[in-house]
Amino acid sequence: MFSSILLQAGVAHESFTQFLAENIQIFLSYTGFANATPGHFIMLLVGLLFIFLAIKYEFEPMLLIPIGFGILIGNIPFKDAGLQLGIYEEGSVFNILYQGVKQGWYPPLIFLGIGAMTDFSALISNPKLLLIGAAAQFGIFGAYIIALQMGFDPSQAGAIGIIGGADGPTAIFLSSKLAPNLMGAIAVSAYSYMALVPIIQPPFMRLLTTKKERLIRMKPPRAVSQTEKIIFPIAGLLLTAFLVPSGLPLLGMLFFGNLCKESGVTRRLAETARGPLIDVITMLLGITVGASTQATQFLTVNSIKIFGLGALSFVIATCAGVLFVKFFNLFLKEGNKINPLIGNAGVSAVPDSARISQIVGLEYDPTNYLLMHAMGPNVAGVIGSAVAAGILLGFLG
Amino acid sequence: MTNKRFGVLLLLMVLFAFGAQAQQTTSVRINEVLVVNEENFMDDYGHRHPWIELYNNSAGTVDLGGCYLTNDKNNPTMYVIPKGDVLTKIPPHQQALFWADKEEQRGTFHVNFVLDPTKENYIALYDSDGRTLIDEVTIPAGQKADISYGRSMDGTGDWINFTRVTPKANNITLNVNEKVENFRINDSWGIGMTITSMAVVFCGLFVLYLIFKQIGNASIRASQRRAAQAAAVTGGTVSANAGQESGEIFAAISMALYEISDDNHDIENTVLTIRKVQRRYSPWSSKIYGLRETPVLKK
Repeated sequence: MFSSILLQAGVAHESFTQFLAENIQIFLSYTGFANATPGHFIMLLVGLLFIFLAIKYEFEPMLLIPIGFGILIGNIPFKDAGLQLGIYEEGSVFNILYQGVKQGWYPPLIFLGIGAMTDFSALISNPKLLLIGAAAQFGIFGAYIIALQMGFDPSQAGAIGIIGGADGPTAIFLSSKLAPNLMGAIAVSAYSYMALVPIIQPPFMRLLTTKKERLIRMKPPRAVSQTEKIIFPIAGLLLTAFLVPSGLPLLGMLFFGNLCKESGVTRRLAETARGPLIDVITMLLGITVGASTQATQFLTVNSIKIFGLGALSFVIATCAGVLFVKFFNLFLKEGNKINPLIGNAGVSAVPDSARISQIVGLEYDPTNYLLMHAMGPNVAGVIGSAVAAGILLGFLG
Repeated sequence: MTNKRFGVLLLLMVLFAFGAQAQQTTSVRINEVLVVNEENFMDDYGHRHPWIELYNNSAGTVDLGGCYLTNDKNNPTMYVIPKGDVLTKIPPHQQALFWADKEEQRGTFHVNFVLDPTKENYIALYDSDGRTLIDEVTIPAGQKADISYGRSMDGTGDWINFTRVTPKANNITLNVNEKVENFRINDSWGIGMTITSMAVVFCGLFVLYLIFKQIGNASIRASQRRAAQAAAVTGGTVSANAGQESGEIFAAISMALYEISDDNHDIENTVLTIRKVQRRYSPWSSKIYGLRETPVLKK
């Protein structure tokens, strides 16, 4: 009976048990167990580590949970049978979601949300803090120099250097344009180090400052009028975008989001941008960036180099910010001096690096609150890294 | 008032629409022309004719449908490029090829004039209004066979002769990114990039600093003026720090006002009240839903 059916279907088997055995064998060849490589297990462990860090130590959980889980999704081994499963297979669900990363349209939407949730008051009341945000961008170019010496070509070096801007969306945006093949490693590296800011920055902040400098008290920022807050995004956009038009997608959305917030008449738009919109995009971006780290594509010598360079760029950026404040203080009158502990906040990583300034500052003087002051260079760092990305894109794109 | 607003809005929309239209079609350029085609590119019918290559020099798709091609200065609407043909949509930085064979019945890309190698050939592209000149070129007489006349850079640049003819392809093919190569050769250490970029970042943020320094000063002066006006009315005095008060002061004042207006529980009564709560009927608490039906013995 069965053999006649099989013969009709064009496949003959000696016995039904053999047919079943073959089917089970085929099924097993499609399972993750049959297709797993040591690389997959390494990446799965990395994903689990990210999730552990996010839950146990609350290191940037909004980023590390989606990225960590994305790494798990991206590293489930499977046989490539044209089923449109993997993130790199055209037409697959993950590939469609990944287009936001690949084509670079998630980052500007994230910037829209960042703009709608950022209060630039600290910066407007003390605009000289903008220069700290500029100085910290040296991390980008320090890493660029080292990457060139490690054998990366200029466009790859530029994409790697942007990790030093400590701004995940900017890193994804630039690497998708300059070095798409390195984007996964760059994105994961940027987000990982942003989460590790509480570990990376404090030792260098302590190393480069004296006890006397750490105790500097800054003047409380003055209250800023709404008119100033409205002018800031408009003037900021016109100036920075005229200077670096290639940064327009990021800068345009950042300042647009901020204008929605500060205008006072588009509250619903601002709330959507800083609430549901940024949440949705963060989830999609995190999960797809994580899933893009398939062991076969991700575990390369270049990825290891990128991780090393990423750490180095954060260190350089932190040191550049702190040292610049010390240098700047030479020209400032007593009473107007800046506490160099806010120099680290010049790297973006909003608001974590500003929080680090506050925590380290409180260790030395429990009544010296640096958070509001540190938010100035922190948001200046966002503008600075977007401008730096625009420059790199203009030069190397 | 509403009509006025509507009018302004409509005007802006119309201007925008005109701007968008102009931006699209005016970015097309006559890019390469072959007047004598002896052993070069053949059309779909297997014939060799002179051809005109148009190039979309923009980052958006442009539809040529409705535009005009002509070889007569006095007749700008000599050949209308048919509308409704999807092939007339040129993707960004791509080309469209028109055959100058006077065989317009053969399709959209066959124009109703020919090019004469014995004399100067004027070719022009007009917008769909038949009046707006988009691009024009005069090809010198005596063009040699299978040598085209085209722009040195696609969409821009001077007109030169090409021995390597490139129908429906870029006139200049770049194998490397020149900008990256320049940095690779001339700035292998990355010092130039670092200095230039840091200078630009600093300049940008420094100018922003200067602007907001001035805006801040103006804001402080305005606050001081307002404080002086208020003092004149109330008979109070203006503090030297007027206009530069810290946000903390305002926060403290706001908190105090909030407490005054909202703090109604300075003296708590110490009477404990047990209020009887009455619930209406709810099916969740109804016993009839909690009981099983009595089983009926069927015989």
